[in-house]
Amino acid sequence: MNKRLIFLTTFVVMSAIGVQSCAGGTSPQAEAPTNEPASPTQQATAPTSDETGTLQIRANGEDFIRQGFVSKDGWQIDFDHVYVNLDQITAYQTDPPFDPEADQSIDAKAQTEVRLEGIKTIDLAEGGEDAEPILVGEVEAPVGRYNALSWQMVKAPDGPAAGYPLMLQGTASKDGQSVDFTLRFDEELSFTCGDFVGDERKGIVQAGQTADLEATFHFDHLFGDADTPAEDALNTGALGFDPLAAIAENGQLDADLATLEKQLSPEDYTKLVEILPSLGHVGEGHCQETTLTS
Amino acid sequence: MKLIIRKTVLPFLSLLCVMGWQTRTSAHGVVLDYQSTQAYEIQAAYDTGEPMDNAQVVVFSPDDPATPWLTSTTDAQGRFLFSPSAPGNWEVQVRQAGHGDILVIPVETGSVQPEADAVSTAETNDTPSTDNSSPTAIAGTSGYSPLQKSLMIGAVIWGCVGTALFFSRGKR
Repeated sequence: MNKRLIFLTTFVVMSAIGVQSCAGGTSPQAEAPTNEPASPTQQATAPTSDETGTLQIRANGEDFIRQGFVSKDGWQIDFDHVYVNLDQITAYQTDPPFDPEADQSIDAKAQTEVRLEGIKTIDLAEGGEDAEPILVGEVEAPVGRYNALSWQMVKAPDGPAAGYPLMLQGTASKDGQSVDFTLRFDEELSFTCGDFVGDERKGIVQAGQTADLEATFHFDHLFGDADTPAEDALNTGALGFDPLAAIAENGQLDADLATLEKQLSPEDYTKLVEILPSLGHVGEGHCQETTLTS
Repeated sequence: MKLIIRKTVLPFLSLLCVMGWQTRTSAHGVVLDYQSTQAYEIQAAYDTGEPMDNAQVVVFSPDDPATPWLTSTTDAQGRFLFSPSAPGNWEVQVRQAGHGDILVIPVETGSVQPEADAVSTAETNDTPSTDNSSPTAIAGTSGYSPLQKSLMIGAVIWGCVGTALFFSRGKR
């Protein structure tokens, strides 16, 4: 009789456990997010091996440079060449992410970094109106997410823009007047930027694959943009082209910063010098700017 | 032009509307429930103080920074509300007319619901929501109510007892 009672009790308990297990197994809770399947992106952001991919660095003057645009004061500006001379181009994996608005230095947050060696002179106006951003170079990079980029604009050692970090050549036209301009800026600048902000995410390197990052230059900050409201801060802070047209002679303007300082009004020259460090971006993302020379 | 993006952490109650509850036979049954969760309010403005109204918002989760977890827009005051489903660095990208910025929100463990009741990201990953007020889907609860479970367990036990007693008496 005792054996039967033991058997009966065991059977009842096991049955109860079985029913409870079945009820739990059919719960929709199984659809709650889990960490079981590791997506390729997750693997890329948490590298566990020495796998590498390729990271390309591109420079982009946007459609303003490739296609031309109308300045805030009505000048149609078309560019023949826009030379930027880049050095120390470095991509970083930072965690927590580098914030150019708040962080003093990227060094404390940089966990992995790769660098393009050598000075690169890039013509942002190269190619047609629909050309891709210019490839500056590429480097083998450990897999992971490169969410910060820094570079310096230094004086070109040789080439068409020798002696200048930035040189713009083009033509500005308005009401039958035309000005062929060459603007040579010798101020050396350093940009340290956070994550790319734009239509797509950039800088995610996966094993054996290619990703890219972009140094973006916003020349509408210098000349303003007729397609943007006049009261927009972009236009109120821009120099425009009227002050430059005013100092052109016989439709020609070839000036460096020293010349512009002499010929522009103090207010316009100060505005110009303050605009130059704001040219560098990563897409629409901001950078921390440092003036290397003055 | 620089942007200013601030975040505010808000506790709020999300209202759940569950259609076709399993215990009801009526096709028109409605059950309302609520749960407390934590939300982050994003305030996007230009550095002039002007709100970024109706700006594009894309949220990326810590698990998949390449794929938008949620897409939406700010309201007329430049505000946007979302509730993260897991700890980690959540990224909120706000863009408008060529201006944009990314805000990184470090969500700590304990700031989100336990996994069993976690906010599901499955639907938002596949088909990003455009609804500001309720951008996330809530994972379902158990398919059986406590009453159902008790009745099932009782019925099985009663069957086992009856069967055992039947065989026990037959051997006497």
